[in-house]
Amino acid sequence: MSIMKICNVKYSYDGNRAILDDITAEFNAGKIYAILGPSGCGKTTLLSLLGGLDSPSDGAVLFQGEDIEKKGLAWHRKNNVAFIFQNYNLIDYMTPLENVALTSKEPPLPVLERLGLTREEMKRNVLKLSGGQQQRVAIARALASDASVILADEPTGNLDEDTASSIVSILKECAHEMNKCVIVVTHSNDIAKQADVIMGLRKGKLNRGF
Amino acid sequence: MSFIKRAALYCFRQRFKTMILFLVLVLTATFLLTGIAIRDAAKDATTNVQTAVGGKIELNLDTEGHMGSGQQNEWGTVYEYNGDLITEDIVKAIAKVDGVVDYNSEDTASYYGAGVDFKYLPAALGLSYTQYGEASSYTATLSSEKCSKFQSGKYKLVSGRHIMPEDKHVCLISKELAEYNKLSVGKNIKMYSLDADAISEFEIVGIFDGTEGTSENAMTVDEIPANCGYIDCATLFETFKDVLYGYEQLTIYVEDPVSIQNVYDKISALPELKGKTLKLTINTDEYDVISTPLVSLQKLVSKTMIMIFVVSVIILTLFLTIWIRGRKKEIGIMLSIGRSKANIILQIFTETFIVAVISFAVSIPFSFCVAEKIGTFLLSQVRSGAVHLNVQINALYLLPLYFIGILLIAAAVIASSWMIVRTKPKDILTQYA
Repeated sequence: MSIMKICNVKYSYDGNRAILDDITAEFNAGKIYAILGPSGCGKTTLLSLLGGLDSPSDGAVLFQGEDIEKKGLAWHRKNNVAFIFQNYNLIDYMTPLENVALTSKEPPLPVLERLGLTREEMKRNVLKLSGGQQQRVAIARALASDASVILADEPTGNLDEDTASSIVSILKECAHEMNKCVIVVTHSNDIAKQADVIMGLRKGKLNRGF
Repeated sequence: MSFIKRAALYCFRQRFKTMILFLVLVLTATFLLTGIAIRDAAKDATTNVQTAVGGKIELNLDTEGHMGSGQQNEWGTVYEYNGDLITEDIVKAIAKVDGVVDYNSEDTASYYGAGVDFKYLPAALGLSYTQYGEASSYTATLSSEKCSKFQSGKYKLVSGRHIMPEDKHVCLISKELAEYNKLSVGKNIKMYSLDADAISEFEIVGIFDGTEGTSENAMTVDEIPANCGYIDCATLFETFKDVLYGYEQLTIYVEDPVSIQNVYDKISALPELKGKTLKLTINTDEYDVISTPLVSLQKLVSKTMIMIFVVSVIILTLFLTIWIRGRKKEIGIMLSIGRSKANIILQIFTETFIVAVISFAVSIPFSFCVAEKIGTFLLSQVRSGAVHLNVQINALYLLPLYFIGILLIAAAVIASSWMIVRTKPKDILTQYA
């Protein structure tokens, strides 16, 4: 059974031009999905709908067979999904430990250690970390939340090749070893090649095996 | 991580913003605390005035319709009161009424005496219509201490004692008159009354001052305040025993000013007053004169406090709105990790509250410095020179301050959180993508 499903989802900004046009797709646990497409095609919008940051104009987003609107989008964001953004989106007056503690009920230290941060780095202000380290903190925050679905929006967009590669490895690990459903929106074919399922979004339509 | 911990972290880490908020709240709290202190001081002063002035009921002659048809003499038509006077029986009955603590009669210019063995300070005309020269007026009283000029502080006893109800053949004279005639307490003076055609002897029991510098441009001696004194009522009755058998005025003092109406009703119902041509009225003039500026001050302070509250809410709302706008990204992140909008607004409220708790405590010494000065200034604006405000900053004032402060913060946070309430998390986050 799929963990997430979008059913006949439509989305338009002004009611005329459809960004997403009657999209239906399923996402399973333990797999990494890559959604490719040109800029402005609606990739981030699709991710927002999956993450409950916005509501579709028509259709439904289901989590474990239940419409996410039923329990509320805030509840869905808190319990079912975790976001990783291109610009990391960390709280800038907090340390990595405190950022991870925002979503974690457990002590945040082990998860940060697992992602390669030293104890000294964990206590620094996040703005004093490198881009790669900040993205690791963002991933740690996503993992610590215990969410089944990780939604990553261009997670390596601001990173160099080596760092990007290590981040992708971590995401793969999340999917394959931690049995999470990882959905990555990206421009990068290199990342897409490492995904289990590739989807293409063009002119409002989502095609599998792109 | 709870919103309380997040709020504490924010206050500690964002020190510059916290400091600005701290200063805004210290200023607001200082004004509010000062307002509370001044309002309470004015309230206390009003109560004190009420207690000090007490309640008074006046019993006067009802002259309306009781002045006769008039008699012609060499001066023209003379009207004479032909109604009832306040007899000793009436006074005794009033004195027994529950709630009455004292009484006094102050009959101004009821006795005109020419100095038999002393001279008055001279006036411009230098009249001499009696064989002993010009006569000056005296107020007949039971208790000179309760007379209006002594009560208001205009006159002050500087030597001897006041006239008391049991006194007979005693008088009070001014310091100026005493010095002019080298008189002192214990000495006797003689006065001639043209109306009674009789000489009476009085012992000087007291000397008062307060008349100095008020005798310029007087045409007759009785227009010079220093020539006017006080005598006892008993001697007045003795002098005019054929025509005067009672008081023309009686002031009745009531124990509790609050229950003055009750005492008034009891006196009105006395059989001794039934059918008499006397008029009973509640006198609140003195209390009104002193308390009106205080009541005005209380109203002024209350209005000022409302104004401070509204202005503070506006300033704080603007400050928090700017603050919240600068935290859009943080709010978006919080929403993306599933924090509800209410949870985020609670965090902002808690941050402001943490700073407010410290600010309000710090405002106490500041308020202490400015409250007295502002209170005196405000009192001068409502024209009350007679009352002094004892403005004190009490630690107990922190309770209303915190109560008003929390309302103020809540109002400002709710108003400034509008952006959070109406914004979709996706819109915020895509701005930072």
